[in-house]
Amino acid sequence: MVVVNKIHERELHKEDKLKILSVFPVAFLLFGLYLCGDITTLIAGLKAINLSPTILITDFLEVGGLGPSFVNAALIGFFNLYLLKRYQLRINGLLIAAYMTVIGFAFFGKNIFNILPIYTGGYLYCKYQKIQMKNIILIIMFGTALAPIVSEIAFGHALNIAFSVPFGIGLGLLIGFIIVPLSSHMLKFHDGFNLYNIGFTAGIIGTVFTSMLRSFKMEIQPEHILYLNESSHIAILLGVLFVYLMVIGLLLNRNILTKYFKIFKYKGRTITDFTQLVGYGMTFFNMGMMGMLSLGYVLLVGGVINGPVLAAIFTVTGFAAFGKQPKNCYPVILGLIGTALLMGYDLSSTGLIISVLFSTTLAPIAGTYGPIAGIIAGALHLALVMNIGVVHGGINLYNNGFSGGLVAGFLVPIIDAFKKGD
Amino acid sequence: MRHEIKKISRIVDELTTLFLKEDTNEVDFSIKRLSDHTVIKIVDYGTHFTDEYIDQLREIFNAQRQCEVEEYYWQLCGEVDDDQELTLIGCMIDKATVEKKDGDLYLELIRYNM
Repeated sequence: MVVVNKIHERELHKEDKLKILSVFPVAFLLFGLYLCGDITTLIAGLKAINLSPTILITDFLEVGGLGPSFVNAALIGFFNLYLLKRYQLRINGLLIAAYMTVIGFAFFGKNIFNILPIYTGGYLYCKYQKIQMKNIILIIMFGTALAPIVSEIAFGHALNIAFSVPFGIGLGLLIGFIIVPLSSHMLKFHDGFNLYNIGFTAGIIGTVFTSMLRSFKMEIQPEHILYLNESSHIAILLGVLFVYLMVIGLLLNRNILTKYFKIFKYKGRTITDFTQLVGYGMTFFNMGMMGMLSLGYVLLVGGVINGPVLAAIFTVTGFAAFGKQPKNCYPVILGLIGTALLMGYDLSSTGLIISVLFSTTLAPIAGTYGPIAGIIAGALHLALVMNIGVVHGGINLYNNGFSGGLVAGFLVPIIDAFKKGD
Repeated sequence: MRHEIKKISRIVDELTTLFLKEDTNEVDFSIKRLSDHTVIKIVDYGTHFTDEYIDQLREIFNAQRQCEVEEYYWQLCGEVDDDQELTLIGCMIDKATVEKKDGDLYLELIRYNM
């Protein structure tokens, strides 16, 4: 019954935590501006990104170019940092996970145009329920998983643009309004064993919306736009950022190298907030470590670092503040890779790389029920994630979260059936 | 809906599971709703929890209230019996007194209305 470890580390003020997190958008901005070279390229790239339907899989690195994509991620990062500061939220593990996830998905699916209606919908929900916006900002940050529905309706060419843009924005408002109660309710399906709960919720919402659109003969066509060129410079940037996180961790807590194994005791089931349980130093170190391991895996299998892969790497890094650590992730990954090899999948393909990285959403199953259960979860995850995109038509960016929710909701009661006692 | 009553019930549910599964066979609960806050009093008779664990409970229940975590995750409270959601309870209450007296564990949790 581990609850909290005694934490001996340098005290961090809330502003300091925000500064640590702000390094990511600052680095993206500088890197993006350097790659753009001139303002014309930047504007043209940002325009292409914001006017794209963004359905899965639309890689912004290919649509708008590398430079504008990094600037887009920086803008979204700064916007969310502003909200964290504005609402004076305690920077806990969940907020770090949400922030890193949103930044990651700014490389494939999220842009300023399609996230703003969802935030506004959340604001309207707060006004209606007379609650404070800060209570739901976290859910809305994750809820931008459904941002592609705004872009798809607005720019998917199914309707005249005079109607499609307001309709798309209206749907975004509606999603922001309903995602809060839905996301909380959906937790009960998987009991917190799927870390990307909003992915599961967004999958359900996406399925309903897509089915409605299909009944009006509006078919959403999946995309497969991927950046497949040289990405070693992106790998270097990521490596520097993850080393930075590890160094910050070491500066805050000098005992990390000898105490890191303590984080392995945690099962990772929601809520496992490492900032509270093991401190900020260990949390940042774990984030850097998980980021490095994710990056190392991509390079090891010879994959390209493109938009979806960046989203996956940053999501794993973010959730390393909220439940993920190497010990509860490896069984799920092994299960997925083993199954992929048996089925003859190409390990270096973007689709499989992101499935491997995102499969760690099921880390709590391995953490709670052991490595065998984790391996089975990983194998099941692969089977589902490769087939489930068609159900929601690609409008749910967290496709792996949807699959993970189904796997957890299916597997956990079965494991329970084999257990004895009270 | 804001589900205030249900949230209080969930806190009690989680703690009932914790004490009956991990500690003793006899627990008393008292819940009092006042105009601006709710008080939950718990007596866990003949506790076997160590002093170190009781200190940890005190620390985790006195962590800062985090409404954004509560709003998202409150429905997880009391859901499973394999694991505890003590961090979540810490996010859902404002103050906690945790004391061991004469072999019994006394808790008083205060949750202000938002």
